[in-house]
Amino acid sequence: MSDTQLPRYFVFHQSSPGKPHINAGSVHAADPEMALQNGRDVFVRRPDCVSLWVAPAGSVTTLTAEELSGGALSLEANDEKPQTFLVFRKLDHKGSHEHAGEVEARGAEHAVARAREKFGPEEVLVWMVCPEAAVSRSTSDEVEALFGAAKDKKHRDQAYYRTVTLMRQLRSGEKLG
Amino acid sequence: MLPEGAWITRAPNLRRKMVLLAKVQDEAGHGQYLYHAAETLGATREEMIEALLSGKAKYSNVFNYPTLNWADVAVIGWFVDGAAILNQTMLARCSYGPYSRAMVRISAEESFHMKQGKEMVILYSQGSAKQKEMVQDAIDRWWWPAMMMFGPHDHDSPNTPTLVRWGIKTKTNDELRHTFIEQIAPEVLELGLTLPDPELRFDEEQGRWVHGPIDWDEFWRVIKGDGPCNQERMAARKKAHEDGRWVREALAAYAQKRA
Repeated sequence: MSDTQLPRYFVFHQSSPGKPHINAGSVHAADPEMALQNGRDVFVRRPDCVSLWVAPAGSVTTLTAEELSGGALSLEANDEKPQTFLVFRKLDHKGSHEHAGEVEARGAEHAVARAREKFGPEEVLVWMVCPEAAVSRSTSDEVEALFGAAKDKKHRDQAYYRTVTLMRQLRSGEKLG
Repeated sequence: MLPEGAWITRAPNLRRKMVLLAKVQDEAGHGQYLYHAAETLGATREEMIEALLSGKAKYSNVFNYPTLNWADVAVIGWFVDGAAILNQTMLARCSYGPYSRAMVRISAEESFHMKQGKEMVILYSQGSAKQKEMVQDAIDRWWWPAMMMFGPHDHDSPNTPTLVRWGIKTKTNDELRHTFIEQIAPEVLELGLTLPDPELRFDEEQGRWVHGPIDWDEFWRVIKGDGPCNQERMAARKKAHEDGRWVREALAAYAQKRA
């Protein structure tokens, strides 16, 4: 086994307080702490983030509308003890899964069943559930350390560059400045 | 990343150094987005890194050319990132969700890459005689590699029909290349600079820009490994991978200890 295949973590990104966390993609990391750090490096180079959550890919279960409409899945409670599951919903094709809230359930499929009752009209394209116990979150006192630097880096914003002004000055014969 | 990275330590001032660092960080991140999208199709990170380092996986040909001075950094920003933006904004409308979302994210971040380069080319072109000469020389070396970024002509592109049918490519290579010329050529000429193509002109009759023949022999030669920097680029990647081994081992050991 080569050492480049570190475990995969989903990264959920909250752009401002009050908005739901959204599935931003995944990173590879040796542990949740590194996953948060890598998640920040990969998904937060622009200054609109206040919180990141990560969860090991193996702990996340997704079910599509097609899979659910088949009727083949029982979505029953299993033998596990009840626990809290985070629920995310993908509502349109272009977008990504958005945090809807939590349910108590016994097993991932049961969590989807509960989620449909609590959050769902039939228009949900994909349900994504994950045990709360598997999720690691950045804390509020880490916000400055993790996301503050991006705010100062105005040079990452295309508006910082004067190409339009310079061409205008050139065309009107003004001195460039 | 690799062609420009060489100039981070030799930027003309601190501001330009910070800008180049930010650009290179973005490019590393863009690689991550794309590897993530490829993983959704079943390839593992391990397989893809293995393929890159063994030479099995191709990468964009434009990275096999050398950067000779800071004017190259300017021209690469305008031409190469400019060409990339056209390609990426087109792919952002593709039919495959993970790839499309990666491209949307990339396109949002890529615009400053192009602008920082264009800003510098404008300033070089209106500067001293020596500066104007430097940027003209960089343009003469990077124009054709940038034009080739769009890939072979449509009639020579075996993958295009399939990619169009599956809704991945929503514009063809030649269509994008044409848009590129339309956007960039007039402004380059307006700056008092020239492009190294004697046949490049706006054809009044056709109502569009026309260009001279592309040297496809060079394109295939470089893609197959015989470009000016192919060996250097591969060696740099292998070294980075080897030099980073102790970090990966330390991460794994720490994770194991805490588990």
